[in-house]
Amino acid sequence: MKSANDIDKIFNINILGNGTRPMLFAHGYGCDQNMWRFLYPHFESDYKIILFDYIGAGKSDLSSYSLEKYDSLKAYSEDIITICKHLELKDVIFVGHSVSAMVGVLASIKAPELFSKLILIGPSPRYINDGDYIGGFEEADIQELLDTLDSNYLGWSRAMAPVIMGNSDRPQLGEELTNSFCRTDPEIAKNFARVTFLSDNRADLDLVTVPCLILQSKKDVIAPKQVGEFTAKSIKNSTLKILEASGHCPNLSAPEVTAKAIKAYL
Amino acid sequence: MTKKKETDSENISRMKAALDLYDNAPCGSVSFRKDGMIFDLNTTLSNWLGYNKNEIINKITLPSLFKIGGQIFFETHFFPLIQMQGFIKEVYFDILKKDKTILHGLINVREIPESDDQPVTYQATILDISDRWHFESALLKAKQKAEADSKAKAEFLSTISHEIRTPLNSILGIGNLLHKTPLNKNQKEYARLLLHSSEHLLSLVNNLLDLSKIEAKKIILERVDFNLYDLTTILQQTFSVKAKEKGIDLIVNIEKEVPMYLIGDHVKLNQILTNLIGNAIKFTKQGSVSLSISATNVNQSEVRLDFTVSDTGIGIPKEKLESIFQEFSQASYDVSVEFGGTGLGLTISKKLLELHNSTLTVTSELNVGSNFNFSIEYPKSENINSKKDISLLITEEHSFSSYHVLLVDDNPDNIFIAEQYLNQWDVEYKSAESGLQALTLLEKHNFDLILLDLQMPYMNGYETAKKVREMSLDKSPIIIAFSASTKGEVKEQLKEAGINDHLPKPFQPKELYEILLRYHHTSHNNKITTSPLEIKTVKKKTTEKNNVKPVSKKTESFNLARFEKMANNKPEYLKKFRLSTLDAIISYQKDFQKAITERKVAKLSELIHKSTMSLYYIAAEPLSELLKECRLILAEDSKNETLLTAKVNECNNEFTCIINGLREA
Repeated sequence: MKSANDIDKIFNINILGNGTRPMLFAHGYGCDQNMWRFLYPHFESDYKIILFDYIGAGKSDLSSYSLEKYDSLKAYSEDIITICKHLELKDVIFVGHSVSAMVGVLASIKAPELFSKLILIGPSPRYINDGDYIGGFEEADIQELLDTLDSNYLGWSRAMAPVIMGNSDRPQLGEELTNSFCRTDPEIAKNFARVTFLSDNRADLDLVTVPCLILQSKKDVIAPKQVGEFTAKSIKNSTLKILEASGHCPNLSAPEVTAKAIKAYL
Repeated sequence: MTKKKETDSENISRMKAALDLYDNAPCGSVSFRKDGMIFDLNTTLSNWLGYNKNEIINKITLPSLFKIGGQIFFETHFFPLIQMQGFIKEVYFDILKKDKTILHGLINVREIPESDDQPVTYQATILDISDRWHFESALLKAKQKAEADSKAKAEFLSTISHEIRTPLNSILGIGNLLHKTPLNKNQKEYARLLLHSSEHLLSLVNNLLDLSKIEAKKIILERVDFNLYDLTTILQQTFSVKAKEKGIDLIVNIEKEVPMYLIGDHVKLNQILTNLIGNAIKFTKQGSVSLSISATNVNQSEVRLDFTVSDTGIGIPKEKLESIFQEFSQASYDVSVEFGGTGLGLTISKKLLELHNSTLTVTSELNVGSNFNFSIEYPKSENINSKKDISLLITEEHSFSSYHVLLVDDNPDNIFIAEQYLNQWDVEYKSAESGLQALTLLEKHNFDLILLDLQMPYMNGYETAKKVREMSLDKSPIIIAFSASTKGEVKEQLKEAGINDHLPKPFQPKELYEILLRYHHTSHNNKITTSPLEIKTVKKKTTEKNNVKPVSKKTESFNLARFEKMANNKPEYLKKFRLSTLDAIISYQKDFQKAITERKVAKLSELIHKSTMSLYYIAAEPLSELLKECRLILAEDSKNETLLTAKVNECNNEFTCIINGLREA
């Protein structure tokens, strides 16, 4: 059995904020908990903020990763439940970006008693078009993306870290900020990409009982509007809100707008 | 006046030159706004991309020129980093040209800060590195191929080792049993040699397997509570016999500060220490071998343990000190001849220590002795109730009375061997040759423990275990899986199927005994009556001589000699062997027909693999050869259909011959 201390370390759990009601922020693919840095401060005064890194991302314990275990999103959703139980969280407001939205959906189906609300940012139950369903990608696109990752040639699998030295016009760029750059283990990222982009969770949406807010950027190459609409239609008790933001990461590109939408819902 | 004119024209020509340089520079240049929209680019880039400038400016965003992976990367990593530090240097992107071909580009970006009414913009320089990209790709491909080849070799090694382990299981089992039967002095010595050699072979194969697993990064460290003192006590017990034989002292020296209860991978620690102590004893002719453990850097929750294994042995020449850690290298050829061994132990120990972020260091003086030293940091365990190591219980006496075991294995030989052990330990058992049969037995009888083979046809071990867990039984039995799988059992899978523990094949009787003891011990605290490890001699039963004769045909399609030997004069065993083999052969013939009709080489290979042992036991060499010939023909691109038909007919004749023969016998 893993000891309590282990779980904190394995998932690099950080707890912030002055409130008691827990908000669990789950980062998306290729990122780590730093992707929330502009968003969570909006909730610090009223909520208990829980940040963590999935195994393979950020400062998580890479040795806890195994190919066999993490071959589906289910394993990631079990990690969410583990974290909630370990921290003895109740009435959790789950905020999940991108693939984490589906991870949250799966976790809420398995343990609905833990969650009070799901905030899904840019969710997609399936990225690949299928008959009438528009996922935004052709199978060939996804294959190409996976091949790109496999070829190990894209910048994110190389050492892409911020440079502190010789940047005198930006004195604020201290070590702390440098550390806020999202990191992810390239090998694990490859497998995570496979699990993410080949997943099909459309059938699971019907099973969600926890109320959901779906946030969708006006322009998002990864999860187009139709996907947000499909998700909203499939989940009972869900609200779709189109954000005045462009890009797949409104939490980075338009944190104020995103925070406002979440606050309005809560 | 003239001067000013000159300056103006100089300025103009300088500006022209600058503009010209911008437009026709050997690198692309593009300016974009915060939303990615391009508002300017130079001629070089528009030429590279095959667009007119006006097709791009204010119409296309920079990320939309990337492939999908690049778009995601731009949004999640690239652009946030630019915003964070104001510039970015030489990051690679695939850039899509108008004709959908790819420009391999390195992109540098710098932020132009906002000024007056101008919002912040970004200026990117793009270098065409297509040539470099092609070279690098070729190198990458070569590297990948080399890695894949090496992985394939490792897998081949691992597969072969497993293949060897399966028959070795039988050799060891039979050897163990043989050793315990009444034998004359010569026979006893032969049996001892047989057992000794097969144990040696097993340890060699296990080492190879370990090494290939480490190389394939398939080994991970466990984190469990363990008792260090138990571990060293067992080591001392294990090696005391050998040390006594050689007349050397075996000393274990643990400092007082060393905590007893730790969290970590005790199996790996045991393996490392076993290797080192085993080596030390092997290379020491007189004097002593000692294991010392000391603790440093002790804090509230963690401790760093220093382990030293020293001997007064032959020592290692200076120039060999480095190479002893390499695979298959002992200090010299003579060493391997004189002392035996594979030279893998140190390599494995070193690699296991690397997993612990530790290293193995050695100091040595020729003819004086060697010191092997390593340190591992362990969290201390608060769980002082960590299970007593079961090996320590073995010396105690133990009875399995009223302990009911169900044995499930599709291979009758494996059942036979396990049954012999269970008989000797007075364990009550029933056997099933399939998952289904096991379930039927479970409906009628109560069992405390199930020994379950994982690889069975129709319903494999995982499925069987799941079904057992679904049954509403009065008492839920412990399920122990055993298997010689090439893949290695994944703990999660075992757990998910409701399997409690796992015993890799081939197992030593001691290992089977230990696992029975462990689970029996946790369920009962029985009174102890017999001494089980001293396997009781099988009482020689005077059964009438076997009436079954070897079936002899023209070229002898098969014979039962091997089974007769294994049945040990027990006709009921022979009958059981015969009938189960009959069933197997009938199903193999069906599989064969299917593989041939579907022209599936893979299916035929699977069949050949599956049937190896059965065909071996009945010495069906002709069929075995014919199947392989069929596979060869089937694997060829231009199949010789006539030859194939002929060989298939021959195979079928053999099948029929064996099936009839087994029925009649």
